[in-house]
Amino acid sequence: MAESQIIVQLKDIRKTYITGDLQVPVLKGINAQVERGEFVGFIGTSGSGKSTLLNILGMLDVPTSGEYLLEDVDVSRLSDVEQATIRNRKIGFIFQSFNLFPALTVEQNIEVPMLYARVPGRVRTKRALELAKRVGLGHRLGHKPTQLSGGECQRIAIARALSNSPAFILADEPTGNLDEKTSNEIMELFHELNREQNVTIVMVTHNPALGPHYDKIIRLRDGRIDDRLFEWEIARQQQLQQQQEAAQ
Amino acid sequence: MMLIRDLVGLSFRNLLLHKLRSLLTSLGVIFGVGSVIAMLAISEGAKHSALAQIEAMGIDKVIVFSRRPPIDGKSESSSENASVMERFGLTEQDRQHISRMDNVERITALFDTRNKILKGLQRMDLKLVGCDRAFLNETAAEIEDGRWFSKIDFDSNAQVCVIGMNVKRKLFTLGDTNVIGSNLRIGDHVFRIIGILDNPYATQLPEVGGQNDMILIPMTTGKILFKDYTFLREGRQFKITRVEYDIFLVKVNDTFFIDNTSKRISGYLEKTHEATKDWGMIVPLELLRQRERTQNIFTIVMGSIAGISLVVGGIGIMNIMLASVYERRKEIGTRRALGAQKSDILLQFLIETVFLTTSGGITGILVGVLIGKIITNYSGMETIYSWWSIILALAISCIVGVIFGTYPAYQAAQQNPINVLRSE
Repeated sequence: MAESQIIVQLKDIRKTYITGDLQVPVLKGINAQVERGEFVGFIGTSGSGKSTLLNILGMLDVPTSGEYLLEDVDVSRLSDVEQATIRNRKIGFIFQSFNLFPALTVEQNIEVPMLYARVPGRVRTKRALELAKRVGLGHRLGHKPTQLSGGECQRIAIARALSNSPAFILADEPTGNLDEKTSNEIMELFHELNREQNVTIVMVTHNPALGPHYDKIIRLRDGRIDDRLFEWEIARQQQLQQQQEAAQ
Repeated sequence: MMLIRDLVGLSFRNLLLHKLRSLLTSLGVIFGVGSVIAMLAISEGAKHSALAQIEAMGIDKVIVFSRRPPIDGKSESSSENASVMERFGLTEQDRQHISRMDNVERITALFDTRNKILKGLQRMDLKLVGCDRAFLNETAAEIEDGRWFSKIDFDSNAQVCVIGMNVKRKLFTLGDTNVIGSNLRIGDHVFRIIGILDNPYATQLPEVGGQNDMILIPMTTGKILFKDYTFLREGRQFKITRVEYDIFLVKVNDTFFIDNTSKRISGYLEKTHEATKDWGMIVPLELLRQRERTQNIFTIVMGSIAGISLVVGGIGIMNIMLASVYERRKEIGTRRALGAQKSDILLQFLIETVFLTTSGGITGILVGVLIGKIITNYSGMETIYSWWSIILALAISCIVGVIFGTYPAYQAAQQNPINVLRSE
């Protein structure tokens, strides 16, 4: 059976929060899909339903209605234990504030998801070294997170996210706590991983400036997908058209 | 299993991250376990020394002794110059009869000559006692120096004596090296000292006193020199006392028959000595049992009182762990996002608490041993650390961890990762 090229498929995802008598619809029917090897950005201002969608994508929350297919399996209504297992094996989380464990060394931090997957110790150590090298920090395995810079911490977090070879990386504002230079380095690392290892990346951000990095942009506004293009997108399309015309 | 090993390592590192807090948290358990250990050691020690005393009397024996019967009041009103003849106690006939009873292996008798022992003009609190040759084997006493009586000493009514440690201390000066072989003059008689006897438990015999305070002579010598009669002058009154034997150490061939034999002996003596209560009986085994019971109750009470502080310590730990769960919501949320099951989180926090209480328990055992040593040093009370008390302390500290760690761990597992990750 040929493996599907569609990794994530959202079909009319709705989420309504109920507080007392008040119903607050946050997501009002989201349809989207992410293909293997794509670098997708979900961009939305605060209040657009971005965080809720992130939680649903990360299987930390379930939609009120709609279907979430992860590698063709509907994962929107699974038990707690199954959800945790899928989070562990299929999703690589990256957080805005890195969320490394201060008590653990870099190596142990990278090993955490493998620990929950019950990977044997020797395999874990080998893979941790491999991943640390891939993000350029092979020499810092024995250090504690407090001894690292912000950019290094995020690199370790990326290595950790990759440790179980997930179906996709789910990054939540990964550059939100970093300065511009480090931000660019981290984004470059994402591109490398995407290009060279064909890692599928889903990034959720409020920052439209990151837009040009993505293969595909899904804009969220008020709980819905907004089809209007950003100005730079129009500019880029015009540029492409001009290039094509020139080539002809 | 693999995960558990990793979690133990993790909790160790987490506790090292907050060294002072971990120490303060486990302080309750440290002192709780410490006091349990110290209490148990003290009461075990008290039990041991009490029981050793009784055991030194011989738990396979029934001790029968003569005693002056209670005075009726009539005989006291006799005229001033009259001499009073007193006769009481155990007789040769009793000895014959008891030694023929079932299960009685041997009777060893003692006979107090009731002589006054003087050093210069000062009366010493010592006794000149005739004994059977088997006496040495029937007590916890040992020959410290010299020798015990030989058969020839008995057969020839030799005027030799074996003195107790205290006798040596009271009658001789400290550096005196020629005690053995020197002569001891008591009344009109002279005895050559052939040995020094030491009873490490200083066992007391009823009416006669401590074994280390005795000057022992062969029974045969004693009977010939002093007969059964003792003359005592009290004011103008002469008192003649006649006692054949003062102590019977009745050895029973199996402790199983002690109760039975002691009943038979008292039954016999009650019948033959009629109304006069001129004898008494001690059954060391029974004393031992009674003492053991009271000591065990003592141990339990002391241990329980100490155990209360352990509960207090456990509550303290629960409190801190609950605060720690709140503080570490971000860590919990991250772990859940990375794929930890609720059970993984539960296990992590539970192991952390158990690790905390158990390491507190180990420290507490050391503290308890230290407290015991200090008490022994300053008060001389014996302390005994039994293996079971240490294992018990470890088990209890482990159980305290499980009991008081379960609720915080459950709380940790129930944290909703969404709230946790959003709360930043």
